Amino acid sequence: MSGVSLRSRLRLRGLRARHLVLAIRVAAAAAIAVFALSTPGFTSPLSINALLNAISFIGCVAVGMTFITLTGNIMSLCLGATVSASALVFLASLSLGVLPAFGVAIAFGIVVTAAQGALVGYIRANPILVSIAGLSLLLGGAAFATGGQRIYPGGEGLQVFKGRFAGIPIEALYFFATVVVGQLVLSFTRIGRDMVMVGSNLRAATAAGVDTAAAITMAYVIAGACSAVSGVLLAARYGSGDMELGSGYDYTAIAAVLVGGTAIQGGAGSVVRTLLGVTAIAIIEVVLLLRGFSQQLQYLVTGLIVLAVIMLHTLGERR
Amino acid sequence: MTRAVAKLLDPKLRPFTVMAGAIVFLGLLDRGTGYFFSIGTIFSVMQLFATFGLVALGLGLSILIREFDLSVAGIVGLAGCIAVMTGVGNPWLGLVLGLGAGVVSGVIQGLIMTRLHLSSVGVSLGGLLTLQGLTYVLTDNKTVAYPNIAVSLSLNAPIAHLISVRSAACLAVFVVAALAMAYTHVGRDVIATGSDRRAARVAGLNTDRVVIGVFAASGASAALAGVLLSYSLGAASPVALADVLAPAAAAAIVGGVSVVGGRGSPMGIAAGVMTLCILRSGLSAIGVEPYVHDLVTGSILIAIAFLDAPELARRVTAWRLARVERQALARKSS
Repeated sequence: MSGVSLRSRLRLRGLRARHLVLAIRVAAAAAIAVFALSTPGFTSPLSINALLNAISFIGCVAVGMTFITLTGNIMSLCLGATVSASALVFLASLSLGVLPAFGVAIAFGIVVTAAQGALVGYIRANPILVSIAGLSLLLGGAAFATGGQRIYPGGEGLQVFKGRFAGIPIEALYFFATVVVGQLVLSFTRIGRDMVMVGSNLRAATAAGVDTAAAITMAYVIAGACSAVSGVLLAARYGSGDMELGSGYDYTAIAAVLVGGTAIQGGAGSVVRTLLGVTAIAIIEVVLLLRGFSQQLQYLVTGLIVLAVIMLHTLGERR
Repeated sequence: MTRAVAKLLDPKLRPFTVMAGAIVFLGLLDRGTGYFFSIGTIFSVMQLFATFGLVALGLGLSILIREFDLSVAGIVGLAGCIAVMTGVGNPWLGLVLGLGAGVVSGVIQGLIMTRLHLSSVGVSLGGLLTLQGLTYVLTDNKTVAYPNIAVSLSLNAPIAHLISVRSAACLAVFVVAALAMAYTHVGRDVIATGSDRRAARVAGLNTDRVVIGVFAASGASAALAGVLLSYSLGAASPVALADVLAPAAAAAIVGGVSVVGGRGSPMGIAAGVMTLCILRSGLSAIGVEPYVHDLVTGSILIAIAFLDAPELARRVTAWRLARVERQALARKSS
């Protein structure tokens, strides 16, 4: 028995495994689609709008989280707080005008996460600990600045961030723009390719001359910008803000990233996958709602489905 | 002198150094007014310790074997609700069922991870969401009151004005865990699994069993925290306990559990939890604004993240060398 036949057999097995994973994924997507389309009222404009709204806010954060996961830094527990804090910054600087306030909020989100990214990237500080530290500092800073109160600024021109454009909720347009920009950065820029390399093998990337620290910092910068977009959209939607606005978004976002099929150990995944993950979770929630499941059963079923999907994905990818 | 400092900052001793530092810091802030150094503060520190300590212990054990058990936050809530709903007549029954739920959820997650070779973050995230959903279903999305006030009162009854029955129970669990880790083969097995899982397996250790065991222990520990907390509050709610994860993880890491695995001890974790609790109740006893607590905690965490960073020494050396070279060049050209 020569090595050739062994190798070809292995390759065949790899091919089969990959097909199997693909088949499982297609079947799961088809099941969700059939499940959704057979639900009365799912295709009504009302429920589609609810769906789009549901995915927009959390979707932006999930896109940001994708970059952190991709570079091998698991997750950030600070993105939810970044959403809330940049919403507060946006509302507080509305007196400058809507667009400058938008810029200030994005810059704020970037500064918050870039500091964390630099610690993680340049001296390899532990990402989870750094994010918890960031969370504490943001909570404390926000309570200091607002006195723990909800803030209600009277601002004009928030229409840029809410309402509809050509029948589509504007929030959804911002989200889709975030997805497109994110995927373009990942696929077609050098630093985007560097991020994937860093995530798949940090040592190999360093040896190959990749500026790993810059790639990781950039991933955090993008995560901050995306979270700030979500914060601005939420602030415009509610016209007021406090630190509760984005709490819990961290877990929902990482769930969407994993359901989409980005590997938790980094190095494999994409923004488009996260879009699919966010959409799948939102569809399941809307369908359960339309089918008259109680709120508590919705939580349980969504949890079980997330667990099952994560198991299926990693099952196919294990080596 | 420097050797003594180095020893105090050694990962084994550092949690206790940090704790002592927190006490001295608060003592200086207090400036002899006696608000901080009072029996009341000790009691409230211990009450907080009872709330977060066991969760941090469970999470810390999972970090010790290079996993991350996110589901502890879900177990705290679920076990609390189960205990409050089943333990009205007989609180021991509620305790047993709550603990059982924690162990079962830990074993199931451990089995999924070891049999399917999955990462713990993904599985325990799914576990967290599922457990939270289960808690919502069990409680019908409402806060459940616990009418057996006698139990609530006796759990919070002070012993010698310093600790309550509840915090004494937590301390006891920590002591048992520390003894087991230090003097039985369980401790060695856990450390071996965390240090180098492949080597441990080659040496003949059934690491799958260790992983499942650690997740069961982590589930039981978090469940005990949830049961005791819900009994002593006299109520359980599916939402109230969601924010326990970040403080618990912070406490475990301040307590010297290394995220690269294989390093850490229950007593260190206890010191880490104690540090955060001393800061929280100490600062509020002195009467500073609540946000100061978050800022101080955040700064300590940043400092630890910074000092523990594996590349810090290399970066500092590189920077120093570059400076020396630049100076040499400047001298040559002048």
